[in-house]
Amino acid sequence: MLPENITAIVTRNERWTGQAASEPHEAGWAREAVIFVRAMKEPIGKQPTARVEISPDGMHWIGEGSEFALPAEKDGIAAARVSHFGNWLRVRANFADGTESTVLVTMHLKA
Amino acid sequence: MNDSSTKSEIAEAMRIAMLRMDPKLSRFDPLPRIICHDEFSRGHCGWSQLVGNYENDIGTMLPGYAQHTSPMLSTLAHWDAGSHGGHDSSYALKIATRPKKGAQNVAIKRLTFRKRCPIRLEFYFTFKPEATELKLSESDVRSVGFLFDLQGGDRDGDSERVMPHVRFLNALDGEHVQKWQLKRHNAEFTPIGPSQKTLSHYHLAPEGWEDVPDGGQRLCYNEIPTKVNWTYLRFDFDLVSMEALSFQCNDRVFDMSSFDSIRIPAMKNLWCMLNIALFAETDTDKRAFLYVDSVCISGDF
Repeated sequence: MLPENITAIVTRNERWTGQAASEPHEAGWAREAVIFVRAMKEPIGKQPTARVEISPDGMHWIGEGSEFALPAEKDGIAAARVSHFGNWLRVRANFADGTESTVLVTMHLKA
Repeated sequence: MNDSSTKSEIAEAMRIAMLRMDPKLSRFDPLPRIICHDEFSRGHCGWSQLVGNYENDIGTMLPGYAQHTSPMLSTLAHWDAGSHGGHDSSYALKIATRPKKGAQNVAIKRLTFRKRCPIRLEFYFTFKPEATELKLSESDVRSVGFLFDLQGGDRDGDSERVMPHVRFLNALDGEHVQKWQLKRHNAEFTPIGPSQKTLSHYHLAPEGWEDVPDGGQRLCYNEIPTKVNWTYLRFDFDLVSMEALSFQCNDRVFDMSSFDSIRIPAMKNLWCMLNIALFAETDTDKRAFLYVDSVCISGDF
């Protein structure tokens, strides 16, 4: 049987402001993940650095180590490649006052 | 008894014997043809996110659909006891809501049928809220349930879109209700976008649920948010008459004589549709999780 491989849409057309994060995604079966963030509208203001976070329980989070600049223009995409992430994954970013982005976050997971 | 009836009885006895010898199928009672048997240790098995309709702008999607996210493969991992595991392997399908009272999420499998005949949906399920509090939390999940989305063939004279809905209303506004409900009345269709060609309706809106007669049932919830027990469910529906035939949850069989579905005129592009959806809804600002392991859909054809 071919190894499992799935594209999960974890955030779709959501306006991120302040402290923003994707919903927790459980993917302990996957050995690797590529996470994309696409700006679906023209971002407003200076875009923050996003980070991939991991968790022991889906409730308490810590940085995985991967960081990437969020897209600075509409339809721009940013990506992070991660492995050895245990079971839980999410993307988090802290937007300064007056800044925002409407994002599509997709996780591409492979066993 | 003639030869042909004897042969068919022998064939049925052999079929049952073979099913019961198979540890993966022995816990199901499928009709003669298995349409799918989804074990989530094999992957997502075609269960995907229910996405809403839109036109030109993704923002035209109705809010009920916009909140949906992709289902996951879960080991039911908990902070205090580790992975609970599924019914028959390490994995179950997990449908998680957002942490906002009334939030819902839906996973769907999209098929078509090749014969209008009786079909049977069977699955094992359990549900819990996210274990963010050291409390029983038994009234934090509002509901879990399932629905079919069906339409007859393009040459059938009686085709309409038929959507049987069933939910277990676990709690409502903090009251631990624990009863089965059905839905006959549909939300209105809303044109999406300027062309008027794309319509949408959020049929899982909170309004319009009705009680199944004698539909109260206390399920095994267990004593803390991180202990689960798996529950069996079976729903039989006749694609010929487009009526429910039978509904069972664990040891209880419910009267379906007054059951009816959401019924709407046939749509121009949904012929022979056989969609099956599973959903969860939270009653608090806490994520609700519906877990399923596994699913068997069968037909008499």
